Amino acid sequence: MKALKYFLMATVLSLLLLPSASFAQDELEEQTLLMTFIPNIQFSPIYTAMEAGYFADAGYDISLEYLDEPLVVDLVAAGENQFGIVSGEQVILAGSQGRPIVYIYEWFQQFPLGIVYPDTIEAESYADLADLRLGISGRFGASYIGLTSLLNSEGIAEADISLEEIGFSAPEVFCVGGVEASVVYVNNEPLQISNRAAQGDCGDVTGVNVLPIADIVDLVANGIITNQDMIDNNPEGVAAFVNAFNEGLSTTINNPARAYLLSAPYIEGLPLDMGFEEALITMADEQDEFLATAPTREEIALSREEQYAALAEQFDANTLLQYEILLASIDLWDADQLGYTDAESWVNMQDTLISLDQLAEATDLEVLYTNDFLPMGDE
Amino acid sequence: MTTNVQKYSEEKRKSRRAEKSNINRLRQIAPFLTIVTILTAWQGVFALEIYPEFIIPGPFQVWDAFVESLMDGSLIRHSQVTLSEMLLGLAFGLTIGAFLGYAIAHIKVLEDILSPIIVAFQATPVVAYAPLLIIWFRDGITGKVITTAIIVFFPTLMNVVVGIRGVSKDLRDLMRVVKASPLQVFYKLELPAALPVLLTGLKTSVTLAVIGAVVGEFVNASEGLGYLVNIARSQYQTPLVFVAVFTMTALALGLYAFVSLLEWRLLKWQKYSR
Repeated sequence: MKALKYFLMATVLSLLLLPSASFAQDELEEQTLLMTFIPNIQFSPIYTAMEAGYFADAGYDISLEYLDEPLVVDLVAAGENQFGIVSGEQVILAGSQGRPIVYIYEWFQQFPLGIVYPDTIEAESYADLADLRLGISGRFGASYIGLTSLLNSEGIAEADISLEEIGFSAPEVFCVGGVEASVVYVNNEPLQISNRAAQGDCGDVTGVNVLPIADIVDLVANGIITNQDMIDNNPEGVAAFVNAFNEGLSTTINNPARAYLLSAPYIEGLPLDMGFEEALITMADEQDEFLATAPTREEIALSREEQYAALAEQFDANTLLQYEILLASIDLWDADQLGYTDAESWVNMQDTLISLDQLAEATDLEVLYTNDFLPMGDE
Repeated sequence: MTTNVQKYSEEKRKSRRAEKSNINRLRQIAPFLTIVTILTAWQGVFALEIYPEFIIPGPFQVWDAFVESLMDGSLIRHSQVTLSEMLLGLAFGLTIGAFLGYAIAHIKVLEDILSPIIVAFQATPVVAYAPLLIIWFRDGITGKVITTAIIVFFPTLMNVVVGIRGVSKDLRDLMRVVKASPLQVFYKLELPAALPVLLTGLKTSVTLAVIGAVVGEFVNASEGLGYLVNIARSQYQTPLVFVAVFTMTALALGLYAFVSLLEWRLLKWQKYSR
């Protein structure tokens, strides 16, 4: 009799809960956001948007998948997935081959690649580094395109420099003296190399400088893509997704300590011992109070520097490395109008692709990107 | 009555001969029928637009890409590079595998000492340590040759061990009785006796050699069919990806056919069934 009572109670409870669970699921559309590489602190805006509920508020239940860029583009173009993160040159190359994708939000406002070299050398342009043995991951992708654009802008031919393909091991090869300079992501490898150099683990190199390609030529960088079908049939969904991402990006820029904490569940091995976590929680709460005073962009940037300086007094370089990468990434993301993409950066990118024979002729760039879905919709 | 029986037997023999002839004819045209069927199905998938054409291009698009890459010389250049890496890797892998296999076949304690290392090497996926080879061996082709050699080494080693150990004890005793030198034992007994197994291993090795060379090129290369796949993918030229993949297949099949021919020539003295 008791067993029957418990069984009936369990059945009634299940029936009461089931409709609400399925109702909650019906409210959110499941979407897999395609990204590249592996889980990384540089994807912090996305993790922040997921953890803070911005995507849920936009009606999306987001999951993540990490693939290489051509796969991301093809899956979005084929309508298998609706949103992806790729670099700008992929959009031009794919668009020229008939992929119906559209770039809807420029996440990196500055092209993230540059040349890292020992700080014993003074360089104001690549011409000052042209005699060095230069490493590059491979003669493809954003690295090669960025380098070519840099060489073209300075009138230097690739045949005039010593260029070696070193795979995705720039810090290792640089530190064993395999190359004297390397094309790198300015917000990542230089910090890793500096960290090794500070620990005496980088051969004769004691410090590095970086020549950002963005300082010399404006190229379209990483952003969000969707397919033409989505834009034609569900523009509200596209706008909602972009808005959610924008919120995540804003939160990350304004409160990196909060973003780091929210990103931790997604990045295996992210340094976050108890002491560091407590410090970040305190810092994040203080930053929220500061943000409530409506500071300017410059004041917020200054507060990030002050926060980092405070952390550097308490924690060692290894603990802080990923946080440093996050701050360096923020410098590439921050702008007065987040997400805005300008025509000149697309033209420069296309010219570079043509000079590399990766593009046979100029394509209609204006169909490949739009600023129509930016929050506020300003140009 | 006898005449009817003879007629019946003759007709039955004729019928069996005709049947055998039809079967032989069918066996000869079967590969072509298979290829035609696959091409037709492929064109059908393309024509029905089951997938977008940038996911699965049609056979004629792939053919156009093939002709273009052949005419501009890029396909031949990349194929030559991959083939060079394969052949060099095969040469190293086969040589080291054969020498080590022969030694292990004769010295059992050597097997106990080396087998953990050899098995660990074989069990580790090449893609895991291929990037390390790039750092250690900066020269462009060396990493790919080493990758290929490592991949073909193990099957070669195992086949040599099995082949040499499989030589009949009676024949070894015979060679001892006639006071044959170790070189004579190797040349006149072990090598011919082990040859069938060795050639079977060689067939496996040549197909694996493609994998070794291409994996190395995927990680880091400026030439080769693996590099061509990377370039074609990065430029969204799916037909060219197909061309590169089919060319890799053709290289592997070509080498396999060569070894099969070698097998037929070298084992003519031995009756064996396919």
